[in-house]
Amino acid sequence: MLTQEIVSFITVLVVAVCVACSISVLYASGLRLWARADGDVERESRLMTRLASAVCFAACVAIVLFALWLMIPMFH
Amino acid sequence: MDPATLVVVVLVIVTALTFDFTNGFHDTANAMATSIATGALKPKTAVIAAGTLNLIGAFLSTEVAKTISGGIINEQQVTISAAFIFAGLVGAIIWNLITWLVGLPSSSSHALFGGLVGAVIVGAGVEGVNFAAVLTKVLIPALVSPVVAGLAAFCAVKLIFFVVRKMEEGQIESGFRHGQTVTACLVALSHGTNDAQKTMGIITLTLIAVGFQPSGSGPELWVVAICGIAIALGTYMGGWRVIRTLGKGLTEISTPQGFAAEAASATTILVYSHMGFALSTTQVCSGSIIGSGLGKKGNKVNWGVAGKMVIAWLVTFPAAGIVGALACALAKTGLWGTIAVAFIACAVVFIIWRMSRRNPINSANVNERADVKVNANPNAKTVAAAA
Repeated sequence: MLTQEIVSFITVLVVAVCVACSISVLYASGLRLWARADGDVERESRLMTRLASAVCFAACVAIVLFALWLMIPMFH
Repeated sequence: MDPATLVVVVLVIVTALTFDFTNGFHDTANAMATSIATGALKPKTAVIAAGTLNLIGAFLSTEVAKTISGGIINEQQVTISAAFIFAGLVGAIIWNLITWLVGLPSSSSHALFGGLVGAVIVGAGVEGVNFAAVLTKVLIPALVSPVVAGLAAFCAVKLIFFVVRKMEEGQIESGFRHGQTVTACLVALSHGTNDAQKTMGIITLTLIAVGFQPSGSGPELWVVAICGIAIALGTYMGGWRVIRTLGKGLTEISTPQGFAAEAASATTILVYSHMGFALSTTQVCSGSIIGSGLGKKGNKVNWGVAGKMVIAWLVTFPAAGIVGALACALAKTGLWGTIAVAFIACAVVFIIWRMSRRNPINSANVNERADVKVNANPNAKTVAAAA
């Protein structure tokens, strides 16, 4: 019983830390890439940096939508 | 139905809605304190957003609990009369208001469970309470969930500042402002989908108990609507005293820290409830704010305030229990006892409200200071003028 509790506690801890860190890193990377694109001289590299930044933000949006899906019982 | 039962049912519904209101305004801080402190949202905008999301949340999830207390009270073994529920609610409301007066974030659910347990012990005896559930659903989550959220926020802040180390300060502040708003709204919505349901459950189970509704049926639309409106109004009123403590009193917060704290809170709440554990939003949010404060180099955490907060968490359950027990001792004497409890409760609420007027905290002055005092400091104005 106690081991089970400890295992689920560790699961919650690991999942919570990983998800919170992932969304933070994605959002921060998105911001940093977007800011870097402003400094890019070449048009092509600027486009690529912007695209990478958009991918980061899109991943954040996906995580938020998944959170909404989890939160609203109507969806599952 | 005899008039006495009707009076008690009406009293239960009114007190349940009052509790729902205090629950909303006590917990606005959880979602919005950091956004208000960093200026990501204007105080009024923040409470309107949180209130609206709480109302939406109430309608989104109407899967009310099958039991009033989530297993803490052995509802099969003892008969829980409407008077016990009323006494428990009175205990929860009074404790919520006392902690609001001193600006301490404490768990509204723990206050509710504590009040009910106190009332049941006096009304039906100790065998009515499942103490193992008190341990697993109240005590252990109170110690564990803030640590999980705090660690998540700590790691997230460290990583964020590592990623953005080459960016300008202004870019970082404004960039995270949007992110913080979104994560804060997630916390507010999850609050609405969870907390309004408790009151809906209490009202529905009371209506079933007196035969107004068939056994096993869900909440009526009017119950969902009034509960949603009560919690949304409470949230909109904003427990500014608690908002000040969480936003300013614990640590100085910048927008990246606010973002990390809210993201960690939302994640912890979702993971915990997905695994079927009980937890308190208040404790999770306080934990993640402390974690985000520790994560930034050179930031100080006010351990004095944090210590008081932890004491308030531990005291909430027994303190609300004592008030609930006293209320039940009087309420179980009969209808007049119940009415007397209602009058005394109104008087206490009025006194607490009067005391809060000595040093009012509102949307205009919430960010001015970091401490919440019951009596206004007469020198405060001169200090501000001198500065």
